[in-house]
Amino acid sequence: MFTRFLGKEYQRKKALAQAAPGPLAEYLATPFPDKNSDCREIEIVAIDLETTGLDPRKDVILSIGLVHIEQFSVKLSTAWHSIVRIDRDIPGESAVIHQITDDQSAAGAPIEELLPEVFARMAGKPMLVHYSPIEQNFISAACQRLYGAPFVVPIIDTLEIGQRVFVRRNHTIQPGDLRLFNLRPRYNLPQYKAHNALSDALATAELFLAMADNLYPGRPCRLGEFLSNR
Amino acid sequence: MEVELVEIRQFLAQRNPFVYLDQELLDELPKDIEIRYLRRGGTFPPREGFLYVVRSGAITIFDKTGELCEKLGEGDIYSVTCQLVNLSQCDRGEAAEDTLLYMLSCDRLKALCRASKAFSEHFSASVKERLRAAVNTTQESSDPTVAAMMIEVGSLVRKEPVTVESGMTIREAASVMSNKDVSSVLVLQDDKLVGLVTDRDLRKRCVAIGLNGSEPIDHIMTPEPKTIEASTLTAQALMTMTRQRFHHLPVTEHGRLIGMITATDLANQQSANSAYLAADVRKAKTVADLIEISKRLPALHMRLATASVTARHIGEAVSCLTDSITGRLLEMAEAELGPAPVPYVWMAGGSQARHEQSSHSDQDNALLLSDDFVPAQHDGYFAALAKFVSDALNACGFVYCPGDAMATNPQWRQPLKVWQGYFSRWIESPDPMSMMLSSIFFDLRPVIGAVELFAPLQKMILKKSQENRIFLAYMMANAMQHRPPLGFFRQFVLVRGGEHDDTLDLKHRGIVPITDIARVLALSLGKEPVNTVERLRACAGTPALSNDMAENLEDALELIASLRIRHQADQIRRGMQADNYVPPDQLSELEREHLKHAFKVIQTMQETMVKRFGADKLG
Repeated sequence: MFTRFLGKEYQRKKALAQAAPGPLAEYLATPFPDKNSDCREIEIVAIDLETTGLDPRKDVILSIGLVHIEQFSVKLSTAWHSIVRIDRDIPGESAVIHQITDDQSAAGAPIEELLPEVFARMAGKPMLVHYSPIEQNFISAACQRLYGAPFVVPIIDTLEIGQRVFVRRNHTIQPGDLRLFNLRPRYNLPQYKAHNALSDALATAELFLAMADNLYPGRPCRLGEFLSNR
Repeated sequence: MEVELVEIRQFLAQRNPFVYLDQELLDELPKDIEIRYLRRGGTFPPREGFLYVVRSGAITIFDKTGELCEKLGEGDIYSVTCQLVNLSQCDRGEAAEDTLLYMLSCDRLKALCRASKAFSEHFSASVKERLRAAVNTTQESSDPTVAAMMIEVGSLVRKEPVTVESGMTIREAASVMSNKDVSSVLVLQDDKLVGLVTDRDLRKRCVAIGLNGSEPIDHIMTPEPKTIEASTLTAQALMTMTRQRFHHLPVTEHGRLIGMITATDLANQQSANSAYLAADVRKAKTVADLIEISKRLPALHMRLATASVTARHIGEAVSCLTDSITGRLLEMAEAELGPAPVPYVWMAGGSQARHEQSSHSDQDNALLLSDDFVPAQHDGYFAALAKFVSDALNACGFVYCPGDAMATNPQWRQPLKVWQGYFSRWIESPDPMSMMLSSIFFDLRPVIGAVELFAPLQKMILKKSQENRIFLAYMMANAMQHRPPLGFFRQFVLVRGGEHDDTLDLKHRGIVPITDIARVLALSLGKEPVNTVERLRACAGTPALSNDMAENLEDALELIASLRIRHQADQIRRGMQADNYVPPDQLSELEREHLKHAFKVIQTMQETMVKRFGADKLG
């Protein structure tokens, strides 16, 4: 994991060299947090995306929700949610899940106007997500297209942590066990009715606090322990 | 606000005191929230400087000695760390379950307090102000269809008062009355009310005894008649009339005479009210008549409760009616058995004596006989009298006392000297038996008969009890059998030691403790009243009871008693047997909170009194 994370810093510098001047380059110029820092002390940004599908080559981002963790508390004052204006109709099958309509999307902002805000918030912080490939790959795909370089970020993935907890306890994992809203009740977290990018980012942030506090009860938790290999 | 945070807004908006914030402030609220997780066993509060709302899970709060203070469940609020002056001993805790907390910084809390008065009162108001407000809200929630009892008596006054001058002859006054077609007239002297004359006075005090019509009216008037302010509720006017057996009441507005109301005015205004029932009781010819009338008591109880008459006044109304029924039964008994061989007084004990009866109370009574009583000669008569009244009361719904504290029990049908002996023994060498009887016989009131027999007994009780500290210590120790709960946790009642009850026993955990406190105080100070509120008022402002505490206890009693009355009225309405047990899920969040304050007041006073009377040193 140590070398992998060194790899992240290496990837960051490499992408920084490739990126066109602008928001991504500015983001990449900020060093990542020290893997030995205590996740009870540092800032972490929980993020969730709604997309038109699962393939970053064909599908696009529909909405972005994020919220910051500071001092091991979720700060709702940092909550941010934006709808992306996209260049196509929203496929009906995905609309059932995210419930974003074409009208709402048309009232949103283009992704190139939203990404700078995301980068400004994420600079120097780990990204907290539940099942990281979606966020990582969709933002990266947009970056390649807009700035000619990938999106590099240290990732904390609550799905991976959940998986580790199951394995450590010798529990067999049933289909669906690792889904965000099936993991939360295990930590006595409430069920939210709404499902959108912000409420899911918030749900992920709460889940992380619960997982970290249970894995490292009342003591410092090293960021490196939580970072994903991706 | 991000529309996505709507759920957090909704969660907070339905919770006290956030309910008091207006929509705009509520919309802004979520962004001031921080969310924090505590695993089971984690230390609470995790950080100083915040108000906490439990979103899920549970928190246990302890005092400095490790005693459980309260348990917070979903939606419960903890604001101790934001209070300027921390009076609470309960400031440490831990998560009893994995818990998610919403946090609001004390700075933001202060800003909200500045923005909303109602919100701020929740944090700044003293327990006293909050209890008072709670009592006021329960009394406001009246049902308009049955709000007749809430009408002010001033609105029933139909014409200018008919008055005559002091010194006028009886004949002149009578002609004024017949000219104006009224059944009563007010006597004035220098524009001041000095007397009241009714048709009845003309008959009984003049015609029947052959008094000359040229005598001054002053000879037959009732001097210094009781008046009532126009703003008084008809319900209260009724109580006054029923209790003092008045039929006419002059009405004043800011002290100025504006007219007269009669019991008939009130009866016309509402047919199912207690004056109407009282009149029927007086007219009743047979026990069967009284049984029929008694069947209307639950309905009266229900109507009074729905019309938001205070619990105290409902207790008075029901007790007055029981008094009337008892009085009428004794008349019937005497008609059947003949006049009593020696003077006697029929005494009520317990809730009837305290004027705190509900429509399903047991009967507690006793006979106090003249010392001329010779058992072999006279007891046959009084046994029959007691049986007649007690059986009839039972048939009327005032069921036999399970502890046999009734005049039918020969032990409680005794001459004055025997009663004095009983009380001497109970007070001078208290034992479990006398403690058991204390709630009945230390609340004793003469109902009807040779009332003068009672005074020496009462005098002796108050003198002895006042002097006997060990007796008072026993009484207080006994009172500690009934302690208020700590509060609520989820759908349970949280009691000392962390146990959970499924239902709240309003009587034994709320009303009885206050009644007991008032009894011990009154006995320790030699105060005559038996009604709990009157006792508290009589003892207020002494070293044993501050004025503030007296008012707090009075408000706590009214709050709990009115909840009980509404609970029972609701059961009666649904055709169920009325009881004292309220499941916590039937209480609103606000009621729970008010109750918690009331419990706290009772708990504080109990602890003070245990120390004061040395009940903790009894072993």
